[in-house]
Amino acid sequence: MEAIANITPDVIETTPSAQQAAPKLISGSEALMMSLIAEGVDTIFGYPGGAIMPVYDALYDYQDQINHILVRHEQGAGHAAEGYARVTGRAGVCLVTSGPGATNLVTAIADALIDSTPMVCIVGQVAKKLLGTDAFQEADVMGVTMPITKWNYQITNSDEVADVMSKAFYIAQSGRPGPVLIDITKSAQLELMTKPFSYERCQSIISYRPRLAPKQEQLELAAKLINSAKRPYVLVGHGVQIAKAEEELRIFVEKTGIPVATTLLGQSTISTDHPLYVGWLGMHGNYGPNVMTDHADVVIAIGMRFDDRVTGDASKYIKQAKVIHIEIDPAEIDKIIRADAPVVGDAKEALKALIPLVEPNDHTVWRNEFRKYDTIEYETITAPELNNPAGKIRMAEVIDLLSTKTKGEAVLVTDVGQHQMMASRYYQFRRPNSLITSGGMGTMGFALPAAFGAQVGAPDRQVVAIIGDGCFQMTLQELGTIVQNKQPVKAIILNNNFLGMVRQWQQLFHERRYSFVELQNPDFITIARGFGMDGQTCDKRENLSDALDTMLAHDGPFLLEVIVEKEENVFPMVPAGASVSQIRLK
Amino acid sequence: MTTYTICIFTENTIGLLNRITIIFTRRRINIESLTVSETERKGVSRFTVVIKHESREEVEKLVRQIRKIVEVLAVFGYLNDEIVYNEIALFKVSTPLGSKPLDVETINKQHKAWIVYWGLDYVVIEKTGDDKEIFEFFAYIKQYDILEFVRSGRVAVGKTEKGLVEYLPEAEWAYYL
Repeated sequence: MEAIANITPDVIETTPSAQQAAPKLISGSEALMMSLIAEGVDTIFGYPGGAIMPVYDALYDYQDQINHILVRHEQGAGHAAEGYARVTGRAGVCLVTSGPGATNLVTAIADALIDSTPMVCIVGQVAKKLLGTDAFQEADVMGVTMPITKWNYQITNSDEVADVMSKAFYIAQSGRPGPVLIDITKSAQLELMTKPFSYERCQSIISYRPRLAPKQEQLELAAKLINSAKRPYVLVGHGVQIAKAEEELRIFVEKTGIPVATTLLGQSTISTDHPLYVGWLGMHGNYGPNVMTDHADVVIAIGMRFDDRVTGDASKYIKQAKVIHIEIDPAEIDKIIRADAPVVGDAKEALKALIPLVEPNDHTVWRNEFRKYDTIEYETITAPELNNPAGKIRMAEVIDLLSTKTKGEAVLVTDVGQHQMMASRYYQFRRPNSLITSGGMGTMGFALPAAFGAQVGAPDRQVVAIIGDGCFQMTLQELGTIVQNKQPVKAIILNNNFLGMVRQWQQLFHERRYSFVELQNPDFITIARGFGMDGQTCDKRENLSDALDTMLAHDGPFLLEVIVEKEENVFPMVPAGASVSQIRLK
Repeated sequence: MTTYTICIFTENTIGLLNRITIIFTRRRINIESLTVSETERKGVSRFTVVIKHESREEVEKLVRQIRKIVEVLAVFGYLNDEIVYNEIALFKVSTPLGSKPLDVETINKQHKAWIVYWGLDYVVIEKTGDDKEIFEFFAYIKQYDILEFVRSGRVAVGKTEKGLVEYLPEAEWAYYL
């Protein structure tokens, strides 16, 4: 991280009225604004309220430097910040009030923690003298968020602001990224600092030292295993994109000729048309990559954490293989799967150091073994889903067509459920950082605000949200945010009038007892129009292509509702608790 | 079940106890005892947590999760034979007029316990030692009327020859005292 000169009030540009009124000693709120500017924050997602009003008052003077986006619900602020963070790699920033403002943010914070998303949440708190008195809108946000933040801190004194904020950004964005929450009392926002403001970016914290460069002996052991492997297999997680190591990964696998599978969040790390890419892993991942996991003799897991959705029954997972685990978070080593060669460090640094140590190779025979499973999957699942002219439109067709029309270049933001899995199965990713989804937490309602945040963070990219009808109704109020901010987000609702994934499980494992999964849905397009967003419904296969064209060509945000097959299942599927080799094709 | 003593060195900040105990709670691990104090190094606190667990592997994972906390400087998990440890117990024993007199010599010489306070019709006896020694003394003193009994958490130091500072990240650590 580059060092910057100290920031003082004199070098921060303010509106003329603010300059005239600027006191020599500034308030905690102004210090907060200056800290954000010093960190290069250009966008905040937030919602004002009583206990954060002094900060909002200060923000009024800095609107030309910090773009504040008024969301419709604090959860929306959190997911938007996540979307922004995922496409930019920088911390998403949220600003909310105390009590319900903060607790509404909790889902997004938990989501960001499990998916390693950098986020800085600034939360108002009641005045210091009221702390612990059950004051109006007081909640123990520190206690509530302690288990779901990488770090949290309560500021009760305006002099603390600069130091704490610099620490917050450093912690959120370094090592394994994650959410940080800063709870700031109203008294600290209002009171003047006792010393002139100055800001220095945090470069290190004595008790927090993420290891970036792996140890040489660990790399050598890993290289030895790779060079002697007969059936090596690379499993790529989200960590590779976080480390911006896509190019190093490509060079590494092309040199060694090792087939690559990704986790759900690891998708788009490598182009899906790359000859070494064999598909994605997990409960609804591809057939070959799951089955072949049990045939590998060396597994190289990079920036992934062996989630149970990837491993199935972990006690039966890759027992036959030597495991190399490249991971920045040492707590992930041996957590689920014991590593024979742990490599603790940043994925980019590790791969860069590993490339010269590995020998060129070409595992053609081994790689081709994946292809026979691809054929089985294509014939059993893919072809029938894409080429079945009877019945209602299928989710697969929508994603497949979208993939073709956007040339695999869009940022796909998905919600959680069957549509999420279908989007992952059928979109052909061509560029890194192109799938934003709630992987670990599985948060319904994620996609709409996250797509908005992603569009703000990547204005030059086409952002398309794929949303289920159930998910949409959890955060649909953010349509208002999208319209007010004129962001050209395209949203597709795949409407089957069901909570589809739950229904699928009820069908397969609960004898079709469809317990409370059918929805009486509103007219989504009328709702969108009510918010000022254009949209249309498509329920005929022959209109689908035109509908997608209309959506993609539309100048501004657009909601496309596609009525899809009501009782469709996502296969392949590894039943919960089964081993990956027990993956079902139907 | 094996007893493990986990020593956690941290920065001295508000709320850290909560952050640490959450890690045990989430994994359904019961804390047998917990002692916290500032160390000889300024600003460095030491938590000594005693747990029982059947899996060493799980304890190792627990230690790594604790190390993830930003304010944690170092964490060690020890077996009993790797540490020197003690607890302190106080016994308030009734000694009204006419009751059986205390055998102070046995208390002192055999049990290495000391009367630290003489009340009007009771005494307070302090016994330090490991849990076995304390409960042996408990069994002995039970013949008198025990009005109150309290036992502290364990304090422990590793048997290695290294000092604390050698385990901490490099810094200019000032002595607390």
